[in-house]
Amino acid sequence: MEKATVVVIGGGATGVGILRDLSMRGVNTLLVEKCDLVNGASSRYHGLLHSGGRYAVKDQEAAKECIIENQILRKIGKSCVETTGGMFVRLNIDDPAYEEAWVKGCAESGIEATPITREEAFRLEPLLSKNVESAYLVPDAAIDGFRMSWQNVESAKRYGGRSLTYREVIGIEQANGELKGVKVRNTITGEEELIECEIAINAAGGWAGKVAALAGLEVGVQPDKGTLLAFNQRLTSHVVNRLHKSSDGDIFVPHGSITILGTSSMSIPDPEDTSTSREEVENLLSIGEKTFEHLRDCRMLRAFAGSRPLYIPPGGVKGRGASRGFAIVDHEEDGLKGLFTIVGGKFTTYRLMAEKMADKVCAKLGNTERCRTAEEPLVPEVSEEAKKAARKYFPAYGTNLAATRLGPERFERVVKRLEAEPEKRELVCECENVTLAEFEEIAQEDSCYQINDIRRRTRVGMGTCQGNFCALRSAGLFAQYGKQKRAAETLTRMKEFLQGRWKGIRPVLVGRTLRETEMTRALYELSFHVNGGKTE
Amino acid sequence: MKHADTLVIGSGFAGLMAALVSANQRKKVTLLTCGSGSLSLNSGVIDVLGYDEQHNYVECPRQALANLPAEHPYSKIGLETVEKAVNYFLDFTKDYGFPYRGSLDHQLHVPTAVGTMKPTCLAPHCLDGTSLHGEEHIVIVGIKGLKDFYGNILQDNLQQSLKGQTKFPIVEVNTPLLGGRDITTIDVARWLDTQAGRDSLVEQLKPYVQADSTVFLLPQVLGTKGQACAAYLHEKLGAEVLETTCLPPSVNGLRLQAMLKRALRDMGVEIVEDTKVLRAVTDGKKCTGVVARASVREKTYYADKFILATGGLYSGGITVREFEQPREMIFDLPVYIESGEENWSNEQLFSDKPQGFAKTGVRTDNDLRPVDEKNQLVYENVYVIGSNLGGYDFCFEHSGNGVALASAYKAALM
Repeated sequence: MEKATVVVIGGGATGVGILRDLSMRGVNTLLVEKCDLVNGASSRYHGLLHSGGRYAVKDQEAAKECIIENQILRKIGKSCVETTGGMFVRLNIDDPAYEEAWVKGCAESGIEATPITREEAFRLEPLLSKNVESAYLVPDAAIDGFRMSWQNVESAKRYGGRSLTYREVIGIEQANGELKGVKVRNTITGEEELIECEIAINAAGGWAGKVAALAGLEVGVQPDKGTLLAFNQRLTSHVVNRLHKSSDGDIFVPHGSITILGTSSMSIPDPEDTSTSREEVENLLSIGEKTFEHLRDCRMLRAFAGSRPLYIPPGGVKGRGASRGFAIVDHEEDGLKGLFTIVGGKFTTYRLMAEKMADKVCAKLGNTERCRTAEEPLVPEVSEEAKKAARKYFPAYGTNLAATRLGPERFERVVKRLEAEPEKRELVCECENVTLAEFEEIAQEDSCYQINDIRRRTRVGMGTCQGNFCALRSAGLFAQYGKQKRAAETLTRMKEFLQGRWKGIRPVLVGRTLRETEMTRALYELSFHVNGGKTE
Repeated sequence: MKHADTLVIGSGFAGLMAALVSANQRKKVTLLTCGSGSLSLNSGVIDVLGYDEQHNYVECPRQALANLPAEHPYSKIGLETVEKAVNYFLDFTKDYGFPYRGSLDHQLHVPTAVGTMKPTCLAPHCLDGTSLHGEEHIVIVGIKGLKDFYGNILQDNLQQSLKGQTKFPIVEVNTPLLGGRDITTIDVARWLDTQAGRDSLVEQLKPYVQADSTVFLLPQVLGTKGQACAAYLHEKLGAEVLETTCLPPSVNGLRLQAMLKRALRDMGVEIVEDTKVLRAVTDGKKCTGVVARASVREKTYYADKFILATGGLYSGGITVREFEQPREMIFDLPVYIESGEENWSNEQLFSDKPQGFAKTGVRTDNDLRPVDEKNQLVYENVYVIGSNLGGYDFCFEHSGNGVALASAYKAALM
């Protein structure tokens, strides 16, 4: 039976941040997550490390938090952040009065916003519409939500922190107004288990209301769905924001070889609802093409959606009007000692949220260690020397990608494999430069139950081909190297993987995306006959 | 001014067949191609109809063809013409030394690289696994360093497909190809085009031959030309040597392509490569020529008859840049499309009903000439074939090359 001082419920950015913070302060902490890590809002967003410019007019407090955390995350999570810089552009259809308020807001929030000429803007971003009237540079950046979260867990591990995935919380055990433990079900095997603990932190994001309800409590959380589009090319080199009152589809974020456009804002009843529709896609496109006029000629890779867990205090506003701030609720006030809920906030401020939460918990536990998460890097970096030595085994630009994905220990093991077994230099995924050695390393981890778990860690299947070539390879290699019994069901794992890609492709099924889909089907349905049919 | 009797646009299976059959009719044929066609992505076996609309397996394509809805291309082509096209293809492949087998009466079964058995109508000997039943001594042959072939997947699933009791052994053979870039099936096939390659393979496989019945199952690597390699191995080993379908490049698709191109050259068809047809020159309901862009400038090609084989959504002959706005790229022909998001695609990628988007295609009359929504003829001398035709999902029903073959044959005879 598992036991811990603190159980953190939810493996999103907030949860993993708390796990790291408490573990660094020496608290015995265990995180439980009902799916794989970062499957909710923390990976279903822009991947934007806010400068705070977005909030400079409406919410100065959020803006100030953003600019401070922005600087911290650049420092502690170097390999997760792509320092693209950001640009705010006002189009001729946008209100000049907003620009004035924004310039003032940035100055007051401590965000450096440097005005540049139109010519300079077009030089930096040649695809921009000529309807741009004015432009400013801000310290926005792109951040990889998956990687950031795993690195938090890795970091926590070094201090004794633990995490269990595919464990859904099904009960909050209590006696005499005090928390006794958390009951979880293994969603793969169906086994149920009680984890004894003194304190539980409900960091379930959009699901926080459901977790609180297990204890008979109420938390006002409103899932607010945002839809995003991923384009199969780098449309911009900066994060590009429309300089107007924050609205749908007005931010472009470049990531590696792709660009993400978003987002919308729509209140939904169920946080599980990550569906996207053609209507939402069309809406985003028609707004986006005001800033980049040739948008529709670019191939869309996929659409995806996530739900922001907006905290709604009794009588508060919903939707885009709701605060992006966060709230911590100590349920001792509701009569249950030992249960906390943390909800709201945004990815950029996850570390700060974790710090505030950990402060409260430590105060309860009588732990006086101070927070060190802002000072210590998440993971040690792979040394330039090690990268240089590894370069002869990796394809072209693959060394850096693998080094940042893997971290120093795994990187070292992978390089050893590449050195000793040349056939493992083969690329499983050409789009994202994933070698067979890297795939093997990750497939052997206990937490990989399906190919999608490997995908999130290696990026296999997330590039241009969206699984056309790597679905077969992944199924073959997972069966060979995977530790889970399920890995042997190759046809099922292969179809599951392609279906996962299909979910995001379906709403953007136009243009060149259609051609890619016809190719996927021709390969798997026709040449490999994976769909079978009724024989009776 | 150059003038052809028949001008064919497109170098996939449909385009090559249309040019071949047209030339066979003693026509002066010009073939315009852009890119290498889709045969290298295509297993090169001819699926006529594997599944019906209800996802029921079709054992006898001839019977099932008679029950298709009126808008299905086969219904327009007619069973008799499908039959003639099949016979034409069988004769042609025999004459050119790479004979296909099969008929409209029964399906053949082709082993795939993932161990399923794929129903198809016509296939060359080396892909026909119809007689496999799981009791033979089946040896799976992997190639060291070959990308995209996983013996373990093949082994596990083949056992289920054939309901066999024995575990088929996997052997891995060496080639001199290791040590450079990734190895593809074509690399291995080229090695097996050489005498040294074939003899090396025979040496390596010989110890696994069992007296009674041995079948070696390989990825698609048995030479790039016809059946010579497979026949040689069969003779030297005294065992059956079969291939599976694989991820591209498809060696068998390329074998078929090479054979067709050889025949076209033999018959004096003019093939113009790397030329993208941009638009048509028309005169009322008649098309007189097409304008194409070669490397530097535009050029007009004139003909009496035009056959459009540009591959539909799959190859860009038809595009859908904006939702519900399909466009045929050369003649701007009326295109059938399913409207509404729910009808456009299914929730499951691999489901038990056809995908709506896949039915996108040009509307035609029974002569395969384009018509508008009111069934009025748009051009009287333009014929539409292959994936450009609407009303069928070639992946779901396993009918791609079959429709290509039959529509090409029909259009050439019109």
